[in-house]
Amino acid sequence: MSFIKGGGIELVLLIVGILALWSVLSQNIPNPSRYLPSPVSVVLSSYDVIWKGLLPNYIGQTLWRLVIGSAIGLLLGIPFGIALGLNRTVSDMFYPIMNFFQSISGIAILPIIVVWWGNSEKTVFVVILYTCFFPIAFNVLTGVRSTPMILVNALRTLGASRLRIVKDVLIPSAMPHIATGARLGIGYAWRAVIAGEMLAGRRGLGWMIFTAQDADLTAQVILGMVMIGVIWIMIDRFALRPIEADTIQRWGLVQR
Amino acid sequence: MPAKLVVDRLSHHYPDEYTGEDVHALDQVSLSVEDGEFSAVVGPSGCGKTTLLNILAGLLPHTEGSVQVDGREVGGPGPDRGVVFQEHAILPWRTVARNIGHGLEIQGIARSEREQRVQEFVDLVGLSGFEDRYPHELSGGMKQRCALARTLCANPVVMLMDEPFAAVDAQTRITLQEELNRIAIATRKTILFITHNVDEAAFLGDRCFIFSRRPGKLKATVKIDVPREKRIWKDLLSEKSYTDPRDEILRLVREEVFDDEE
Ligand SMILES: Nc1ncnc2c1ncn2[C@@H]1O[C@H](COP(=O)(O)OP(=O)(O)OP(=O)(O)O)[C@@H](O)[C@H]1O
Ligand SMILES: [Mg+2]
Repeated sequence: MSFIKGGGIELVLLIVGILALWSVLSQNIPNPSRYLPSPVSVVLSSYDVIWKGLLPNYIGQTLWRLVIGSAIGLLLGIPFGIALGLNRTVSDMFYPIMNFFQSISGIAILPIIVVWWGNSEKTVFVVILYTCFFPIAFNVLTGVRSTPMILVNALRTLGASRLRIVKDVLIPSAMPHIATGARLGIGYAWRAVIAGEMLAGRRGLGWMIFTAQDADLTAQVILGMVMIGVIWIMIDRFALRPIEADTIQRWGLVQR
Repeated sequence: MPAKLVVDRLSHHYPDEYTGEDVHALDQVSLSVEDGEFSAVVGPSGCGKTTLLNILAGLLPHTEGSVQVDGREVGGPGPDRGVVFQEHAILPWRTVARNIGHGLEIQGIARSEREQRVQEFVDLVGLSGFEDRYPHELSGGMKQRCALARTLCANPVVMLMDEPFAAVDAQTRITLQEELNRIAIATRKTILFITHNVDEAAFLGDRCFIFSRRPGKLKATVKIDVPREKRIWKDLLSEKSYTDPRDEILRLVREEVFDDEE
């Protein structure tokens, strides 16, 4: 991993520095256990939730929602983006619409979804699905549209059918965009799942933060926040980024 | 024997995207290419050469005049007409061998036969040892060899080539011209070859069609009577049967270019 090879020590020092600053800050404010508990007390509070098996359980819940939600998002978004990209007129029409929906974040649509489906599991899934669908479909559409015409023409002169052109030219050519769309979409979905759980979840990391705040357990709120960041970095670093880099490189699209 | 490729009173107009004005690209072009003949097309920039090729390839629909290949009217792209584009037309995510075999794959030829035929053309264009490389690992000249092999391997009735060597350096270009001549001898294909370069047209062509400025009209036809086997650059430069038609083509092309500058 690159962060171990180069800059590893600097990174550790930086984290230690932030933790030290945080400790000093929390020691110099009134009532730190309510406003800003020190890193040590956050770790101590985590002992309790981990020991009771709650934290792993909550993380599992949240991840499961993310995986299912974004899998459906990919399954629907990729074919949809490709289908739109096939026809110039259709894609010109849909482009601004896709761009519009892509800009309304999951958090912004949450209230209306709650109105429709209440505080249910369905609401959380719909929000995740919505959030990742549009960036995925939008990027795939962009990828298909940016396929060089000459490649399509070359295949047509070899006698290729439409289906063959989709399979051999449009999809591979859009592959880097598909990977980027997936990474973006899943990133947004991760934020959406936390927000969704706060409002309608009953379980999961978002729910944990929400209830901890209600119970005045600020240390647990911070623990939840830190977990959100740490888990995302792991997902991004060990799953999404390698896939993206690998696709781009394997299809020979790197500029050297 | 009827000609392989017949163009009869072909005209083409483009609507200009911005002004809506009509761009008259081709005007009443009639020409024919015999079976196994290598024809070259030269003419000033913008005279409609690419337009002609796209119509022949079936990539651009024609409305005035007729275009026939092997006695059949062209109505869309098809594997009977292979095209070699100027550049960047091979798929970056396929290896050399898989690019070259792509036409056969589309035709549904079985893998074992395909591999055998691919190897034949890999060898013919001198890409042996590079079968498993990706296009971004190749030089410009090698990419064009790969594109040429892909078209040849699909075994078209006619080959249409649009300035295929324009983007490579002068030295590579000379090599590619000699190689294409060798391939023309080996395969006896009917070829229509578009170029800006008068030397190239005279070196490769059995006949050369010279186009006027836009709207492109067929201005003249010049025959080049040099046996294919004798077409090697170092022997040809002092050969009258090459230099005479070359000078004639040059004179005809210059008239068009100088008119342009007035
Ligand atoms: N899609 C298009 N829409 C409008 N006009 C076009 C289009 N394609 C070509 N033209 C115009 O038609 C004329 C002929 O173009 P064409 O590309 O066939 O020329 P060419 O002989 O191939 O030129 P060059 O030698 O520079 O490649 C040009 O004036 C060009 O501007
Ligand atoms: Mg051209």
